[in-house]
Amino acid sequence: MYPENENYIEVSPADFPRKCAEYSRRHFLRMIFAADERELDGHFRVYAVFSPMGEDRFDILTMKLGEDNLSYESITPLVPAAHWYEREMRDMFGIIPEGHPDGRPLCMHGMYGGVYPLRRDVSAADIKKAVDLSREDGYSFMRVKGEGVYEIPVGPVHAGIIEPGHFRFSAVGETIYHLDPRLFFTHKGTEKLFESRGFMDGVELSERISGVSSFSHSSAYCMAVERMAGMEISPRAKAVRTLVIEMERLYNHIGDIGNMCAGTGFALGYAKGALLKESLMALNDRLTGSRYLRGINVTGGVTRDVFDAADDIISTLDGVKTGFKHFMEFLLDSVSHIERLEGTGLLSREIALKMGATGPAARASGISDDIRRAHPHLSYGSLVFEAHTYQKGDVYSRMMVRREEVECSFSIIDSLIECRHEGELRIPAGRFPAGGSALGYTEGPRGSIFYWIKAAGDGSPLRVKVRSASFCNWPLISYAIHGNIVPDFPLVNKSFNLSYSGCDL
Amino acid sequence: MLRQIILNLFGKKPAIGMDAIRAMVGDVAGEPGAGGPARLDAVFKRSIRIRQVDAGSCNACEWECTALGNPIYDVSRFGIDFVASPRHADVILVTGPVSLGMAQALKKTYLAMPEPKIVIACGDCARDGGVYRGAYGVLDGAASVVPVDGYIPGCPPSPAAIMKCIMDILESAAK
Repeated sequence: MYPENENYIEVSPADFPRKCAEYSRRHFLRMIFAADERELDGHFRVYAVFSPMGEDRFDILTMKLGEDNLSYESITPLVPAAHWYEREMRDMFGIIPEGHPDGRPLCMHGMYGGVYPLRRDVSAADIKKAVDLSREDGYSFMRVKGEGVYEIPVGPVHAGIIEPGHFRFSAVGETIYHLDPRLFFTHKGTEKLFESRGFMDGVELSERISGVSSFSHSSAYCMAVERMAGMEISPRAKAVRTLVIEMERLYNHIGDIGNMCAGTGFALGYAKGALLKESLMALNDRLTGSRYLRGINVTGGVTRDVFDAADDIISTLDGVKTGFKHFMEFLLDSVSHIERLEGTGLLSREIALKMGATGPAARASGISDDIRRAHPHLSYGSLVFEAHTYQKGDVYSRMMVRREEVECSFSIIDSLIECRHEGELRIPAGRFPAGGSALGYTEGPRGSIFYWIKAAGDGSPLRVKVRSASFCNWPLISYAIHGNIVPDFPLVNKSFNLSYSGCDL
Repeated sequence: MLRQIILNLFGKKPAIGMDAIRAMVGDVAGEPGAGGPARLDAVFKRSIRIRQVDAGSCNACEWECTALGNPIYDVSRFGIDFVASPRHADVILVTGPVSLGMAQALKKTYLAMPEPKIVIACGDCARDGGVYRGAYGVLDGAASVVPVDGYIPGCPPSPAAIMKCIMDILESAAK
């Protein structure tokens, strides 16, 4: 009933925190989430997805919670990476983690009237009815007290063309003592919206969860649907997806390295990065009809074969490769730029590991974790490549990890183009088993992306859980920025390049 | 001045890089419509300042607005600038379906702008909620909070499309 590499382990609520702590010692925590499965067996369920280091397997701990007792002992004191997941479950389902160190709401702002939106017996209309836009938020920011400490409130509307969120800095002079981010201003009710669509119709929504990760998100979503329905897509469709995921990584990473120059006020570097990114966006458009690689993923495969345009890919990437090489040489020769990156925004390996960091942010802090290698999917199993790590965890390391991954993506694309890939572009839909479930995942530009879907008794979506890389990495910013000066915040933030929409859902 | 912009963009006097833009945006590169934007010129004095507000967008529209500043599109050469404060803005460019969390911030940003002000809803979400229409956390488009003067279709609209539509909307608003 479950896909091969998913191993479900039933645990009693009393044992759950201790079991999670035990697993977190030798496993990576991928996500924790809840589902309202009362219509199936009268219970709510909590799932904690772990993957053992060095094995392509998911150990999924699960516990049942009865409607009459929705509290359990919090996992966070033992497994700090659980902190946002538990606050999320409390907001969305009313499942109470007793003893959680942070009692504040996470996703639900004050205008929501205390309803639990992801419960199945709560409709979108019920939630809207309880909304009062003038209701006070009443959120209490963490205060730092002492002589000379002052607060700088920023947002939700920021000065530049970026997404909305609120940052509350507590600073002493120019030095940031603490940053308390308040996000979820762009919370739209995406997971609930998935439930109101059929599984086959969720692709376009998954493409619009986070703009520059459109393709990674839709790939992970399609993969979950295909795994649940037992659909094995063709090697050709897999190769197309693999190539396009790497195209997405390329324009993101190169764009990010360029954007870091904006963080240091290095206009020429920024302009050079933007030019390279633009030529990749134009290539995206020619290959898929979308600069953001939308409309190519469908459940069961892809809509077009990008290998038909192999000549265009090769010649464009040749230009980008040369341009990128010169660009990196230029940046590394620019002492004033590099000097700002080194030692800035330090994220220690210990914190990154404890807090569940993912993607380039984790790898720059010495954690060798890449979903493409940990759980080979699509064509990644037949490709040879490494997880690129740096040890120091500063902005410079995050730039250099991206640089190596850019080179790696170039070579992956080259090897994909060298081979012939056979098979149908798209296979017909399978059947969605009642109560069936599956994980879908990939390594997006910002880190791992996970979907978990479950079908109701009639095969329609009961739950679509989305876990973007940014949800894991947002809490890390507070650690990385501690002790840095206020003007370095944009730089540190850009070095993580987190999505608000992908986190807020 | 806007006539100049349009001529520069799509007419006979190409500025640097325009061939590249034209190659990329065949879909919007048409002949400019008749009628002069003389009144706009009088109102905006050769400079248009835009305050962009993300009201729950997926961030694709923002990246396309950011791309307008790159050396290929470089809109500042036409007197168009994205500004940090609504106090400096002539135009507010709204993206996203308007999440509940951003409704108040959007309204406040609009109210903080000096008159005359023009509201442009950029992208399919800002038009009517787009793919998010009907979700519990959105208000199905910018018009639910602010009076919209014009829409830019697309998901996301390309940088060139945004540029062209801004000019069309400003032109018709001046009439």
